[in-house]
Amino acid sequence: MADPISDPIGFSLEIMTSPLFFKVAVFPGLTSIGIIIALFIWLDRKITARVQLRVGPLYASPLGGVLQSFADLIKFAFKELFIPRNADKFFFVAAPVLALIGGAGLVGLIPFTPEWQISNLELGLPAFLAFVTLSPMLILLAGWSANSKYPFIGGLRSLFQQTAYEIPLWLSAIGVVMMAGTMNLIGIVQAQAKPWYVFPGMYIPGWYIIPQALGALLFFITATAEMERIPFDLPEAEPEIIMGWQAEYPGFLFMSAAGASFVRLYAFSALFSVLYLGGWMGPAPVPALLWTAIKIIIVSSLIILLRATFPRVRIDQLLRAGWTYLLGLAFLNIVITYLLVVGPRI
Amino acid sequence: MPDIAFFGFAAVTVLGAILALESRDLVYGAVSLGVSFLGVASLFFLLDAAYIGVFQIAVYIGAVVILILFTVMLVGPAKGEGPTEFRRTALFIGILVAMMLGVGGALASPSAFSTNQPCTPECDLAQFSQSLLVTYSVQLAVLSLVFAAAVIGALTLAKSERGTA
Amino acid sequence: MVAPGLAEIFYYLGFIVVATLVPIIALFLIVTPRDAKPSPMKLETYEAGQMPSGRGRTRFIIQYYPYLLIFVIYDVVAMFLFAWALTLRTLQPPGSGTWPILIFMGVLLVPLAYSIHLASQRDLW
Repeated sequence: MADPISDPIGFSLEIMTSPLFFKVAVFPGLTSIGIIIALFIWLDRKITARVQLRVGPLYASPLGGVLQSFADLIKFAFKELFIPRNADKFFFVAAPVLALIGGAGLVGLIPFTPEWQISNLELGLPAFLAFVTLSPMLILLAGWSANSKYPFIGGLRSLFQQTAYEIPLWLSAIGVVMMAGTMNLIGIVQAQAKPWYVFPGMYIPGWYIIPQALGALLFFITATAEMERIPFDLPEAEPEIIMGWQAEYPGFLFMSAAGASFVRLYAFSALFSVLYLGGWMGPAPVPALLWTAIKIIIVSSLIILLRATFPRVRIDQLLRAGWTYLLGLAFLNIVITYLLVVGPRI
Repeated sequence: MPDIAFFGFAAVTVLGAILALESRDLVYGAVSLGVSFLGVASLFFLLDAAYIGVFQIAVYIGAVVILILFTVMLVGPAKGEGPTEFRRTALFIGILVAMMLGVGGALASPSAFSTNQPCTPECDLAQFSQSLLVTYSVQLAVLSLVFAAAVIGALTLAKSERGTA
Repeated sequence: MVAPGLAEIFYYLGFIVVATLVPIIALFLIVTPRDAKPSPMKLETYEAGQMPSGRGRTRFIIQYYPYLLIFVIYDVVAMFLFAWALTLRTLQPPGSGTWPILIFMGVLLVPLAYSIHLASQRDLW
């Protein structure tokens, strides 16, 4: 067990003035999460609008409406919070807030560069996936607590959808662990540093998206399902069950619920770029943090593009696809990765 | 300091379990069971078994509590009704469980068992998987049969539900 | 993994505690200055334009519950597969973990094949 902390007050003063405090409070911690959520909401609305031949948010600032989501956040903060009668007050308020905190916890595990990370857990990847398994429970509680039909249906659909797609998510991440030999996220990025093939003059980077193409595709699909984005947004189906489990939530709680969804978009895009796209690595003149930002924006834009173009998947199609085809493909990915890792030595 | 941490987590575990049994609303009971499992996971982290702690969170809180919550929400009694009458059989079962726990606690003392593979400080995940895959590989294969049987049983339940619906 | 690993977990827990306090304080700041004016209409649930009727917590999609059972089991399977995946290259007699884990996954493919077979008979799934 760890050594006892001998001087609590000095210890906490030391923490507050340390770079760790900056990391927790500003970047990649809480303030940056808030700002990045707002920017992602704007990105989502802008890309969706452009694909649908509209303009999207335009008036809130000279830069194409970037400040629109900040204006929305301020508006939501001032709305009245009313709770439906016979609702379960504790879980009604607690569930979206806990979902937001869970999303922030996901972001805290991800290394943006080797210096900018809140904590480098030895078991970073299973810890991230374990946090992901907590979210179906919170959404089920949120849907149940409103004591209303549509949120409850949305909560149940979300439960089945997220539990169905979590196992292929776990199994597709196993391929990365097999190739890297570690579950530490910084270790996984560093294991992708070896170039895959060296041409005279340039090289193809050894990012895992090339050997793990099937795994990356599976991860992408299951992560989109975990985030309940279209084409998997059945729990939140707008014309059918009126925003599903979020239907009864006023003002600040709605902002927490939507914010939780966008934090998970941020966290999953960041994890995808760490696991498959080589994290912060890239050719020299561009700083490492900028490479991370570019990769996260590319992955999130792809996920947002899916939203703008695809129709919705039905619940029985969704569950059947998750439990049969995606699970089988995940096992196939494990076998292929095994041959890639062990094969050269046979 | 570590002792404070241990007592704190143990208190969370026990309180969560007591609340899970005693609360009137079964949903609150299921959630406090989840909190109790969180206490167990923290105890695993204190024992340097971080891998098991992480999977305790993922499997117990992420799957078992969800199953219990789902069952309670859909087939449980309405809010506010719970078993309140005191039955003599409950008292008898409680005494029996206490006796079993006492015997089990006496057996679990270090003098009762002698392990042939003591856990040194290098006893970490690599050694766990080494022993799982090499030393106990036959047991692993048998375990897979148990898992497969459970999944086939669940699928059969799904099939018969739809068949009679 | 005695002291350093525990310190990392400690920092992470500190981050979670701070992340928990911020929305709670924000919620408190929003709720406190307001004098609430509840009206009967505000307390009703939303049912797309009609007055809500019937029980709030109706019983739906109960027939998909075996999926939750399967989820529990495959979650434990994932734990064993992660342990194998981590030490794939460092097992002591090299290549010795292969057959056990192949048998493990092979036996688990049988229920997968059964579920694909069930999926092809559409009215049973």
